[in-house]
Amino acid sequence: MEKVFTSKLESFLNAVAEKFQLYVPAKTDDHYTYNVYDPSGKKPVELNDIRTCTPIKEFLFPIRELAATYPKEFKPDDIKPFAVFGLKECDLRSIEILDKVFAEEDFEDQLYLNRRNNMFIISSDCNEPGESCFCNIFGGKGFAESGFDLNVSKIKDGFIIEAGSSKGNSFLMEHSDIFGEIPDALLSERDANRAAVQARLEEKNDHLKFDVTIKQIVEDGCDSDVFDREAKNCVECQACTRVCPTCHCFYLYDMQKEDYFAKMKMWDSCMRLSYATVAGGENPNKVLGDRMKHRLLHKFVHFHDRYGLDMCVGCGRCVDADAGGMDIRDILKKLKD
Amino acid sequence: MKDNIYQPINGEIVDIIEESSTIKSFVIKPEEDFAFKTGQFVELTLPGKGEAPFTPSSSPAETDQIEITIMKAGRVTGLLHECKKGQKVGIRGPYGSCYPVDDFVGKQVYIIGGGVGLAPIRSLFLTLVDRIKDFKSVTCRYGAKTPEDFIFKKTLFGEWQKIKGVEIKLSVDQAGNGWDGNVGVVTTILNPSDVDIKNAVAVVCGPPIMMKYVTLKLLDFKFPPENIYLSMEKNMSCGVGKCGHCMLGKYYVCKDGPVFTYEQIKGYPKIWE
Ligand code: SF4
Ligand code: FES
Repeated sequence: MEKVFTSKLESFLNAVAEKFQLYVPAKTDDHYTYNVYDPSGKKPVELNDIRTCTPIKEFLFPIRELAATYPKEFKPDDIKPFAVFGLKECDLRSIEILDKVFAEEDFEDQLYLNRRNNMFIISSDCNEPGESCFCNIFGGKGFAESGFDLNVSKIKDGFIIEAGSSKGNSFLMEHSDIFGEIPDALLSERDANRAAVQARLEEKNDHLKFDVTIKQIVEDGCDSDVFDREAKNCVECQACTRVCPTCHCFYLYDMQKEDYFAKMKMWDSCMRLSYATVAGGENPNKVLGDRMKHRLLHKFVHFHDRYGLDMCVGCGRCVDADAGGMDIRDILKKLKD
Repeated sequence: MKDNIYQPINGEIVDIIEESSTIKSFVIKPEEDFAFKTGQFVELTLPGKGEAPFTPSSSPAETDQIEITIMKAGRVTGLLHECKKGQKVGIRGPYGSCYPVDDFVGKQVYIIGGGVGLAPIRSLFLTLVDRIKDFKSVTCRYGAKTPEDFIFKKTLFGEWQKIKGVEIKLSVDQAGNGWDGNVGVVTTILNPSDVDIKNAVAVVCGPPIMMKYVTLKLLDFKFPPENIYLSMEKNMSCGVGKCGHCMLGKYYVCKDGPVFTYEQIKGYPKIWE
């Protein structure tokens, strides 16, 4: 695969924006969200040092979308190819998790796949992992080795761009005029940066390294009162499930439009009281602590049993977002004790 | 099946049968032939209003129309009960696991149903009766609150009782005028002498509390958990193993169920809630 060097991001992003609708990170206060790229140069793009605070699932599985119509069937819109710049390694793993569910062969979700197949992924190395980042507990390293079309690494004098797919490779070849060769020294600089970030992650999250798997911890902790005790801090804002890049619960609802009926697909949250209520009114998870337990069981036990991986990438978004100050890392630690 | 998994097939309610004061059967004619296996469920859409899962009560041998028997229990079922003939509906599916009828060949099939749980069971019953010689026998135990609450009354009290190879016993929680059968919950008409446990399978469908006590009783009889088939109910939305609503341990009830053996799910908490 191709690897190239550029001293300025601008020409690279302009080239991307010619081919794709491009989304780039934008800083508000002390966090990043996504904006549409403005090629005028008025809003210079900075490379985000850390993941955005909003989850990447928004690009693939919007908060609310049209899922079906009646009586005439609608054809999902053709999604124009789009590119997202600045995804982090944890984001790529969250896409892998969503793929397991929505691209599962027996029932492929075309709404999801339409977007997924048209998404050009430009990831970048993490330079400043945040306080809440604990991706290394789930095998993250702060940089990606696969799952991207292009990956950008910031170094002192510019950026190294590496292709990770044939789509990415052709992009670099088509635009060879705006890129330069990379001297070996720059690659060593990149590797040193990566190693330093990785070491920082390992050190700061040392307290979360357990001698048993997280699956085991949650399974064994099921009968403890940790969930009920933790639930006392929860204000039921549901922010944890909204910002989580791997949470993918939704519900379908029907409504009348002007001259047709629509079935909508909308994000749901397992923390919502009536999430599991059946038609007759029974609800196995009336108690908040039980809903919290269900969320962790789904993430670390049931999803694992089904798909062979944890449904958490350690991005820490839920830690940052939580109004009640709940911290999934603390809950895991308490379950372990 | 449609390319878009959320898109229903159009259909129309062509007949409505009042089964009891709270239960109606809707005969639905889909615009396309609709094949399903007995025990599988469909998502029925009332356009613009809502969608809910139901296991058809008709025989899978009929593909030009299906029958769905619905108890008024929540918002969508309430609205469905107000529908008239000619109402347009949407159908998605069929989804989930079925009763493994071929595995029942040569065996006694012990069917225990309660209330509206007779709906999926009728579909199974008709499937078995179609090839009754393949099975050692079909033994049915049905319960309802009062005699009026039995559904499919005409056939249940009449022709089904006369089928060779079929034996049916009924019970009600409260007797009414002219009831000379058993009074008591359905477990009171279960007897170890009903079944040759070594060569039988049990199929249980009804309200969760009834399924719980019937299962416990069958275990008392030494019925192996892997031979007890249960139709599980959970909150469902997508029906296709995506939305997360119907989780029962690692299973999605919509995709891995609704038919489970007790063996599959016995290790999980709150299966009856
Ligand atoms: S549970 Fe929290 S840390 Fe894990 S992926 Fe979701 S938001 Fe990130
Ligand atoms: S109903 Fe959506 S996952 Fe089962």
